[in-house]
Amino acid sequence: MTNAMDRETVPDPQNPLGFDGIEFIEFATSRPQALGGVLETMGFRPIARHRSREVELYRQGAMNIIVNAQPADVPRTAQPVEHPVISAIAVRVRDADHAFRRALDLGAWEIPVRARAMELNIPAIHGVGESLIYFVDRYDKFSIYDVDFNAIPTVDPHPPAMNGLHFFGVVQYVGADRTADWVEFYSRIFGFTALPNKVRFGIMPKGLLLQSPCRNFYLQLIEPDENARFAPMEENLQRIGLGTPDVVAAVATLEKRGVEFVTSEQVHSSDRGALTKASLGSVMFELVKSDPTDQAVAK
Amino acid sequence: MNYSDFGMDTASLAGSLESKLAAIRQAGFSQVMISATEVVGHPQGTQAAIRAIRDSGLRVTGFEALHDFEGLDGQLHAYKVAVAKSMLSVCHDIDGRLVLVEASTSTHADTDPAKIARDLAKLAVLAVPLGIRIAYKGLSWSRTAKDFRVAADIVFRANCPNLGLAIDAFDVLASGVPLDDLDAVDPEQIFLVQLSDYMWQEIRSTEEATATATHFRVFPGEGAHSDALAGFVTRLDAIGYYGDYSFDVYNDDYLQMPPDVVAARALRAAEWLGETVLRRALPVPNIERLRRPAIS
Repeated sequence: MTNAMDRETVPDPQNPLGFDGIEFIEFATSRPQALGGVLETMGFRPIARHRSREVELYRQGAMNIIVNAQPADVPRTAQPVEHPVISAIAVRVRDADHAFRRALDLGAWEIPVRARAMELNIPAIHGVGESLIYFVDRYDKFSIYDVDFNAIPTVDPHPPAMNGLHFFGVVQYVGADRTADWVEFYSRIFGFTALPNKVRFGIMPKGLLLQSPCRNFYLQLIEPDENARFAPMEENLQRIGLGTPDVVAAVATLEKRGVEFVTSEQVHSSDRGALTKASLGSVMFELVKSDPTDQAVAK
Repeated sequence: MNYSDFGMDTASLAGSLESKLAAIRQAGFSQVMISATEVVGHPQGTQAAIRAIRDSGLRVTGFEALHDFEGLDGQLHAYKVAVAKSMLSVCHDIDGRLVLVEASTSTHADTDPAKIARDLAKLAVLAVPLGIRIAYKGLSWSRTAKDFRVAADIVFRANCPNLGLAIDAFDVLASGVPLDDLDAVDPEQIFLVQLSDYMWQEIRSTEEATATATHFRVFPGEGAHSDALAGFVTRLDAIGYYGDYSFDVYNDDYLQMPPDVVAARALRAAEWLGETVLRRALPVPNIERLRRPAIS
């Protein structure tokens, strides 16, 4: 007997875009070499350079990080300054054009096309602050980097991940009383769902957690402390969370490479998580206990 | 005395944007509702207007007004989305956190509540990255939402946290909506209340309503409906509204008077509402006393 569901593709109502994790996370900085140094201590390797822009690709396991030093040419996007900022997240979806058009229909702001001749036009919308969100659908058989980037010769294009590190999530700082607005934004456009308060990962428990429709990426929305609620609103992507099955082992590996971790009474490394000290004034990584195979099962 | 809940509207005053802001500030107000035309029509350009507002020390109550946005299709919809994006951007530039949207009067607008809710939800999502809230206001001559009751239904249907209501006392008074209907509105859903009165007892036609609304409004306490207005404000207070009140007084005579004189009248309205109506609350004071309020 044939199951009726086998005859046609019925989209998962929880995942209308076929959201499938993160393709890359981008930093903007006017000091790409300095940031590159920080990324290398975290286990990332430079593997390619953009053909026409001052942009480099770093990789570790399944994680891609782009370092962008090209002056911004679109309003409300991050201008590279000394302190690196997380300037974009690229999400993997089933059909980038469909996901992009659907987002615009729902009220996203589009970014003008910037691709030059023979470069990929990767559709993007405005995210929080000056950040962008890209939609990528070529990550399986083809790679977007094959088109726009030149590989750095003699470098292994697929450096393995240390201690099973993988993208776990991103922490987003939001303004006072703005959590609900951002929940609305991410749930309408991408299908993220808010997790109940009792679900917590890692050692930084503040704010509200949003889970991606593919269930292996999280956004953590954090409002200002009571005494900072009346300061001018600042919203941005604050840090990247990296998952690892064994936080203690990962901390040991990274410490040997020169990475320093926060050790205070409230925040210190444990088997649940750890937080690196800020480098270059703004770059922090959070480690979170997470097993990618568990997450695949959870799907 | 603290009148920080009350603000003026630049459209009530004559003169340059700078002199309006100065008059509002000097009268003792801490917030101002900005008309889009004030910013983009500034003789030294939009950037000069943005600087003037940021330097004024006044908080921006909101930015007004987006018209005829909802219920359109195809090219018209795309055109209005572009207009809305421009207004949101300017609002963001002047550190505004609220855009006022007036219910559509366009004959091209579809009046299906589901479609209207969808369009307003889209507008609300557009406003999220800029930190802006959308306040949707029913208008008695609108085709999509004739009063706050209909507007509240649509806002409820759209179900966006940054989409709420603006309630204009003029519309409530002029169309005789019962105050009891305010009890059905979630106070958290009300983002802005606009207050004004007018001089005649009743309005007989839609034409008269639009003419009165755009040319003959006066400040609260100056018109013929002080009791009703006081009742409106005390009811809002009773249901738990604690947001801003803006005087949306459009009056041709006031545009022929010095801004500081008009701003002083606005302050008397704020004093009456703040001290007499809200603080000492009830019973509603008699008209004679309202016309000669104690100036402290």
